[in-house]
Amino acid sequence: MALIEVDDLVKEYQLNVRHKGLLGSIRSLLIPEYTKKVAVDSISFSIEKGETVGFIGPNGAGKSTTVKMLTGILTPTSGTITVGGLSPYKDRKKNASRIGVVFGQRTQLWWDLPVADTFDLLKYIYKIPDNVFRENMELFSDILGLQEFMKQPVRQLSLGQKMRADIGAALLHNPEIIFFDEPTIGLDVVAKEQIREFVRTVNRERGTTMLFTTHDMLDIEKTCKRMIIIDHGKKIYDGTVEEIKDKYGRSRVLRVEFSEYIADVQLPGAEMIKEEGNKKWFEFQKDQTQVSRLINTLSQKYGIVDITVQEPEIEGVIREIYQGGIDLNETLSGVS
Amino acid sequence: MRLYLELAKKSFQNNIVYRADYFASLINAIVLIFVNIAIWKAINEEEGALGGLQLNILITYIVISFLMQTVYQMDEYFIEGKVRTGLISTDLLKPFYFRLFVFSYNVGSMVFKFIMQFIPAMLLSVFLFRLLPPFNTQMLLYFILSAILGYLVLYNINFIVWISSFWFYWTFSLVTIKDAAVMILSGALIPIWFMPTWLIDFIELTPFNAIFYTPILIYLGMMPEDEIFMSIVKQILWIIALFGIGHILWKRATKKLVVQGG
Repeated sequence: MALIEVDDLVKEYQLNVRHKGLLGSIRSLLIPEYTKKVAVDSISFSIEKGETVGFIGPNGAGKSTTVKMLTGILTPTSGTITVGGLSPYKDRKKNASRIGVVFGQRTQLWWDLPVADTFDLLKYIYKIPDNVFRENMELFSDILGLQEFMKQPVRQLSLGQKMRADIGAALLHNPEIIFFDEPTIGLDVVAKEQIREFVRTVNRERGTTMLFTTHDMLDIEKTCKRMIIIDHGKKIYDGTVEEIKDKYGRSRVLRVEFSEYIADVQLPGAEMIKEEGNKKWFEFQKDQTQVSRLINTLSQKYGIVDITVQEPEIEGVIREIYQGGIDLNETLSGVS
Repeated sequence: MRLYLELAKKSFQNNIVYRADYFASLINAIVLIFVNIAIWKAINEEEGALGGLQLNILITYIVISFLMQTVYQMDEYFIEGKVRTGLISTDLLKPFYFRLFVFSYNVGSMVFKFIMQFIPAMLLSVFLFRLLPPFNTQMLLYFILSAILGYLVLYNINFIVWISSFWFYWTFSLVTIKDAAVMILSGALIPIWFMPTWLIDFIELTPFNAIFYTPILIYLGMMPEDEIFMSIVKQILWIIALFGIGHILWKRATKKLVVQGG
């Protein structure tokens, strides 16, 4: 059986309807009205041990709700979830000792105390054996650079430092599954890369199963093999990141820097989309035009200083999917 | 058990962080005691209306009451803050009992206040206000037991108010009402013996007098020995009843939990 099994999961919320204006708000206070909102609409999937899965979808798509049900803090309206053979919301505490959760937007560290104190406390909370604790502390200090600020109160840390400490805190007890809820939100490029590298290392060396929800497609591209796209509470795609990129990312951009300014470049099979000084950008479809032929043509006619081929970013593909520009229902194997 | 001890220790440490706050609340306690004593002295001189009670017994009552209030001060918005920011989810994702965690947190800061505020303020009061010693050693022991039970009564009342934040999100008004009820009905501000009979009869039916009034009466030796046992039993019964209510509310709260900002 898979490590995580989700079957026909539904979560409905009761929302308080608030009316506009002063009279309206008084009315809402006296006669509360409710509407039902289906946040998660019969989603099913299963995840094997050691997988890295990215949950993506626009804001309010139901990603966080799904993850919260997986961690056991929300009770599903209907459907079943098993995580390692347990029902997360019925065995919340048992489930909790086997999972780690990182929230990019809030910290689980004790605000006024040094980072080291929170780590100490976690040692007791998860009953971590001394040798495991020491090993992990060394590893985290190495890769995450925690030792620089272990003795500083958390409130004095920068966002990046806090995030690194939080990730360390979530992984201290060697959880089998880790949930990352927007782990790199608000971080700079270097900090993001450091965190992704750490995540990859842990996944490779320990075989930890990891689930991400993020809006940063680069996070997904660099850490996840599999991607589940959720929109309006429904699963619309479940498959590899590669496949979706192959399928919809067929166009390539060829960036060429010429040795001198050339007013008009003729390049059959490609279209110029941008121009800047001596540099020009050409777009072509990789299944229609071979890149070697384009380069050949160019180098025979003109003097070339530099040439690069750019792949489309997954972000562009996803943007189109959200906006309905790409209809997933055609041929993709992952579409449900 | 070790875990909750560690939690209490960390909470103790957490209290040390803000030095200015520490001195401010120490001064606050002393000033409050001083003002209240001044009021009672004025009443005594103007009216002679203390019912023949010795002024220094009344002063001792006030001092003990305010010292206890300082120690029993709890973080009223700890749970509410967690509910509103959604941090409650991180706590529920830990393999521990959340309620014991909250309790340890409060006990940690209670111990801090006891050592760092109660003791210095107590010593100061002995000199400044000529505080009377406990009636006798036996009463001192009863007082300590009863004071601990009083803390638990207050804690469980507070817990019920705190847990309501799962439904209301903002509990400021409820906390204020609760504080006022405790202040008046527990005898923290005015000894219950000064109150009209109908109010005393009402108070007897509430848990409030089990918080401050019972232990202070024992301290002063004003409670007959055969009544002490019954009062302590009553405190325990209130603790059980209030804990039971808190337990039911907690179970419901976790069931309906809607994490904010999800």
